[in-house]
Amino acid sequence: MAKSGDISMFTCPYCSTQRENFEALREHILADHKGSLLPEPANRIRLLINGLEHAMNVEPEWTLYHLIHDRLGMTGSKQFCDRGACGSCTVIMDGLPVLSCMVLAIECDGRTIETVEGVARAGHPLIESYVKHHAMQCGYCTPGFVVTSKALLDRNPDPTEGEIREALSGNLCRCGTYPQHIVAVREAARTLLKEKEDSGGER
Amino acid sequence: MVDNFSDEQKKGMEEMQDNLTADRHPLPRYKHIGGRGGRRLDGQPKASGQAEYTMDVILPGMLHLRFLDSPYPHAAVRSMDTSKAERLDGVRYVLRYDNPEMPEKASMGKFHGLYGDQPPLPGIAHFEGEPVGVAIAAETEAIAEEALTLVEVEWEERSFNLDPVKAREKDAPLSYPEMYPAGNFWNNGLFNELVLGDAKKGFHESERVMEFAFSRRGHTWIGPERPCGVFRWNGESPEVWVKQQRPHLVKKNLATWYGGIPMNSIQLHCLYQGASFGGWVQVPWNMGPLYCAGFVAKKTGRPVKYALTRREDFYGQSMDDGRYSLKVGFNRDGRINAVKGSSTMTNQLWPMFNIMGHFKENTSIPHLHGVTESVWVNKGPAVPTRCEMLPTSLCITMVFNRVAAECGLDPIEVALRNDGIEGHGTDHLAEERRNRGFSDVDSMKECVERGKKAFGWDAKWHAPGTRKLPNGRMHGVGFTWTHEWDDSLGTSEMAIRIERNDGTATILAMGCDNGVDAENTYCRIAADELGFRLEDVRYNPQIDPGFFRMSPDSSTNASVNGWAVRHAARIVKAQILQAAVSPTARTQRGSYRPAFPDCTPDDLDIEDSVIYRKSDPSQRMSLGDFVREAGQSGPISSSESAGYRWAFSEPLFAFGYQVQLGSYNPENPRPHFTRQAHFLEVEVDTETGGIFLTSVVNVNDVGKAMNPMSCEGQQYGGSIMGLSRGLFEEMIYDQATGVMLNGNLLDYKIATIKDVSCPIGTILVETGQGYGPYGSVGIGEDIGTVMTGILGPAVYNAIGVWIDDHPITPDKVLKALGKT
Amino acid sequence: MKPFAHFNATSMDEAVEILGRYGGRAAVIAGGTDLLGRMKDLVLPSYPEALVNIKTIPGLDAVGEDRGYLKIGALTRLSALASHPAVRAEYSALAEAADRTASPHLRNLGTIGGNLCQDIRCWYYRGPNNRFSCLRKGGGRCYALKGDNRFHSIFGASVEQGCVAVHPSDTAPVLIALDAEVETSKRTMKVMDLFTVRPLRTTVLDQDEILTGVRIPVPSPGTKGAFLKFAQRKSIDFPIVNCAAMLTFDEGVVKEARICLNAVYVTPRRAYAAERALAGRFLDEETAAEAAREAIADARPLQHNAYMVQVARTLVKRALLACGGQGE
Repeated sequence: MAKSGDISMFTCPYCSTQRENFEALREHILADHKGSLLPEPANRIRLLINGLEHAMNVEPEWTLYHLIHDRLGMTGSKQFCDRGACGSCTVIMDGLPVLSCMVLAIECDGRTIETVEGVARAGHPLIESYVKHHAMQCGYCTPGFVVTSKALLDRNPDPTEGEIREALSGNLCRCGTYPQHIVAVREAARTLLKEKEDSGGER
Repeated sequence: MVDNFSDEQKKGMEEMQDNLTADRHPLPRYKHIGGRGGRRLDGQPKASGQAEYTMDVILPGMLHLRFLDSPYPHAAVRSMDTSKAERLDGVRYVLRYDNPEMPEKASMGKFHGLYGDQPPLPGIAHFEGEPVGVAIAAETEAIAEEALTLVEVEWEERSFNLDPVKAREKDAPLSYPEMYPAGNFWNNGLFNELVLGDAKKGFHESERVMEFAFSRRGHTWIGPERPCGVFRWNGESPEVWVKQQRPHLVKKNLATWYGGIPMNSIQLHCLYQGASFGGWVQVPWNMGPLYCAGFVAKKTGRPVKYALTRREDFYGQSMDDGRYSLKVGFNRDGRINAVKGSSTMTNQLWPMFNIMGHFKENTSIPHLHGVTESVWVNKGPAVPTRCEMLPTSLCITMVFNRVAAECGLDPIEVALRNDGIEGHGTDHLAEERRNRGFSDVDSMKECVERGKKAFGWDAKWHAPGTRKLPNGRMHGVGFTWTHEWDDSLGTSEMAIRIERNDGTATILAMGCDNGVDAENTYCRIAADELGFRLEDVRYNPQIDPGFFRMSPDSSTNASVNGWAVRHAARIVKAQILQAAVSPTARTQRGSYRPAFPDCTPDDLDIEDSVIYRKSDPSQRMSLGDFVREAGQSGPISSSESAGYRWAFSEPLFAFGYQVQLGSYNPENPRPHFTRQAHFLEVEVDTETGGIFLTSVVNVNDVGKAMNPMSCEGQQYGGSIMGLSRGLFEEMIYDQATGVMLNGNLLDYKIATIKDVSCPIGTILVETGQGYGPYGSVGIGEDIGTVMTGILGPAVYNAIGVWIDDHPITPDKVLKALGKT
Repeated sequence: MKPFAHFNATSMDEAVEILGRYGGRAAVIAGGTDLLGRMKDLVLPSYPEALVNIKTIPGLDAVGEDRGYLKIGALTRLSALASHPAVRAEYSALAEAADRTASPHLRNLGTIGGNLCQDIRCWYYRGPNNRFSCLRKGGGRCYALKGDNRFHSIFGASVEQGCVAVHPSDTAPVLIALDAEVETSKRTMKVMDLFTVRPLRTTVLDQDEILTGVRIPVPSPGTKGAFLKFAQRKSIDFPIVNCAAMLTFDEGVVKEARICLNAVYVTPRRAYAAERALAGRFLDEETAAEAAREAIADARPLQHNAYMVQVARTLVKRALLACGGQGE
């Protein structure tokens, strides 16, 4: 794949080898890369978001948040601080909760992303338990909490109160709903464990 | 208009506006009001990410507007070269403050008449970070940001003030010379004075007199969604999305802009709001950007979005920033005779509450003298941040706990000894309660008893600085109290419509959701009043001052709005029952067979959305069936129906309203009967100054908890905010340059889930002694306000030394202990 | 953010070559948790023309034993480090430091290399739009010296420069106490030698030099370590003071002591005097307290940070006692 910033006009886009002139380059490509698909530009990325494939060209300075929220219209993830200090923009990337405002989209080629929309569409019990236990007020930080909690339950299906606090310790809530999150996450965990029991094993 | 209300009903509706006595016509029983587990209407949208906020609005062709921020605390733009910015690719409009088409002043919020009209985009900045000089609209935010760096400004830096005490001195420079040329005072220095009795006399009569002072640093709201809006012109009509806690005020101001716009031509969307905690909505820094967006939208023919950056959002602060001096005359048994308080505070925009306010409203202290000064400094405006009663709440906390400490008494004893009203004790309070028709329960005693028990106060309280824990830390407990807020001053109109076809009810009222689940509360009131199932009542938010709702819904406004929706519901219920017995059963459009032709309205009632005959409930008809036929009838054109007799009548629809002066009415103030009490347990690490919260109990007498889970949410939220303010929150300025040093969420610290990991007990007391419907009072505004000071006495109890500079950070603890 | 060019490097050579080509006008991006914040705020006088992503270079995030060392790839995420079984078992202080850094989300993004190479913390230095063009950015003066210095150095400014901004890393003092070394694309050096105090530089790395990993010698038998962090909030916050201690005991006597403070000085600071005070003695409340006093004996606090001296003293004492198996 071509490296962006190369000065030479006679660089092979497939293998980056250099030739002296256009004719030589053309000969090389026909000989060695016949049948290959056209190479993609360096800023074309592929993402799996909530189970759906996305392929798009991105600008280097786009954060993952900007891509998801502004360009793809998935407005569930929120921007509270835009500096990595609040957790409201959390998405799950390759199984880990990360701050989408502190990740460059162009560095996410090939990644698997889950956003709050995906968590909700999958019918995760966290959504219902959050509603039931009023684990929200203004709701602006709530998607960040839901996604972070989902990532927690994925890796730790039976977390203690302390473990829930630790996992959510990077999520700020100005309305002060913290106590309700503990209750909501515990209940969702119980629901999932019971579902697993009832289905006799792997979910 | 239906006119068959009983005399009692009519009288009841008159008295609803009276609002100076207990509710004389409550419901005989409650079904949904007071119940737990009612489903939040906003819960699923918010948890799933579907809820849309103004920040999420993206319109085709939308431009992004960004502002230049002043690098100086006080500076004028002497000259400005925007040519490079204009030439940057993607810049579509550069709006300069001196654009001849921009007005010199416009209606920008008029915060209670103090500020007056302001320029939408000023050329002079009065605090560092203030948007000033130029606003740039571009295809992307990044381009607008970059364009701003290309603007060359020649600044005229001016002298500035940061400290209110220094700014009041004779030779201090002027902070706002254009508005306050005579000096840095508002109203010649006397912002607000309160006198009760004769303080001098009171001191003379006291066994002990003490003086002390404390400081509270300004803090700020930190709303997660920053102020933002989108402005689009549809021809001559503005269509606006705006994050605003009081959308009716936006509309009112907007109507005066751009040469004047008819109110009915303005379409305003108030989506879900990422938290509003008070008065930001009414200040120029919130309205100015909207004006600019509208101006640029007109010029470019494209929708324009502005969103203040997080840094820009630190433009204002709470109303308690300043220095407080108190003199207290008291006896050894804890009875307080006189309090004289004076405070020097910054940039106050709300003149209503004196620092002795709560002393007058809920104590028996006979002599009070409070003087509040507001001094202008070059920081942002000080507006209600959760509440404007922060200063007086702080003083209650400090005075009561100081007196207790001096006397060696339990602070709860001191509070109980001095409970009362306007210099009179609890006997007088009881008499007032009786006169106004309230129950004869002592709210303070009830709150304190339940709180002490839940907290374990008797075992935990001890003499200050005397209990060291096995882990080496010092143990301390703190207590504070005051009355419960019921100060709603305002109006509300809410309407209810019974839908055709299925008889469900829709509440039509202004929309503004900031998360307190108020809409659920109104649905409960309507459901219980109408006799409907809760799921048959829905809240449909409107933006229209014609259906004006007292907002924000966290300033005890449930009590104003509750009356309005109840009133509407009672009228609609009467309409339903009247229609049900009408011989031709007229309703909606058309005639149909009568439902209960042999009855009078008094023979009927509604329960679970079913109209039934009281003496024989087997005679019943659901609301759905009742309206269905009429709802389905359309224009009759076939010959079959040619003989059908038409009779049109009013739809089942009514609006209710409430005008409430409440305790703001100086002629006839309402005594506050309900109380709140708060308890805090801490551990202090005396070697590092670290403070650990180990237990919190909130007790709030809300009169009637119409929506208990919503109330508890406020108890959690308010105590967490209050404790966060006590521990961490302050706006820090560089003294040499006036630059705010911590305008970001890393350096300005709000509590994380680990900082408040202690159990938070939530107790709701229901004495019914509120002026709201069913005896309710508010809760949303007060806990955060009252809890802001409680760390002071708790730390004192732990280490035996008063720390009189809030927030109480580790450096202050170590200094108080002499370890630094 | 303002635009920049971006390269996903596939090898160290490629990364170094691109950096060289840009002659100092490009920056390495690993976790990005410090870099992107600075870029968004336009903190520095110049903005990178290009970012070179080294996360696409394979093999830089391995953790494993290798000939008497624990080797940690520079791209090892802090969360992975904190939960790694070998690290938790044998280098628990390092696991603790990694686990106390920032927030869970940031630990999933931030790397050990980035944690070492991160820029200083000072709210004048980091004022958005380069509001304070201070000494550390090539400007004329340090604004913190006479300004609000409540979180700044308690041991004065560095010798060469008059900067009092602190280094905020939680892992650095532990690595120094472990006598660890950093490996770069060019050389190996002690962790302590990585740091410097120059305009626009907190490390000695050349413009085209990249940290590749850390290697820690296996501690001698009888070595116990501890790490303590003091901050205002119990999560997210940078340290106000932190302290790492590694003590090697021989029949109860302290044979060797390595004590390192951070967030108290412009670079991590070894408490040599404290180490000397402990050598050859039994560890108890008294000797720990004495060592702690020694650790801060040469403190020169500024106007607003005298309290940090007391905190530092406390953390040293408690870290030492924790090594001896005694609680805080």
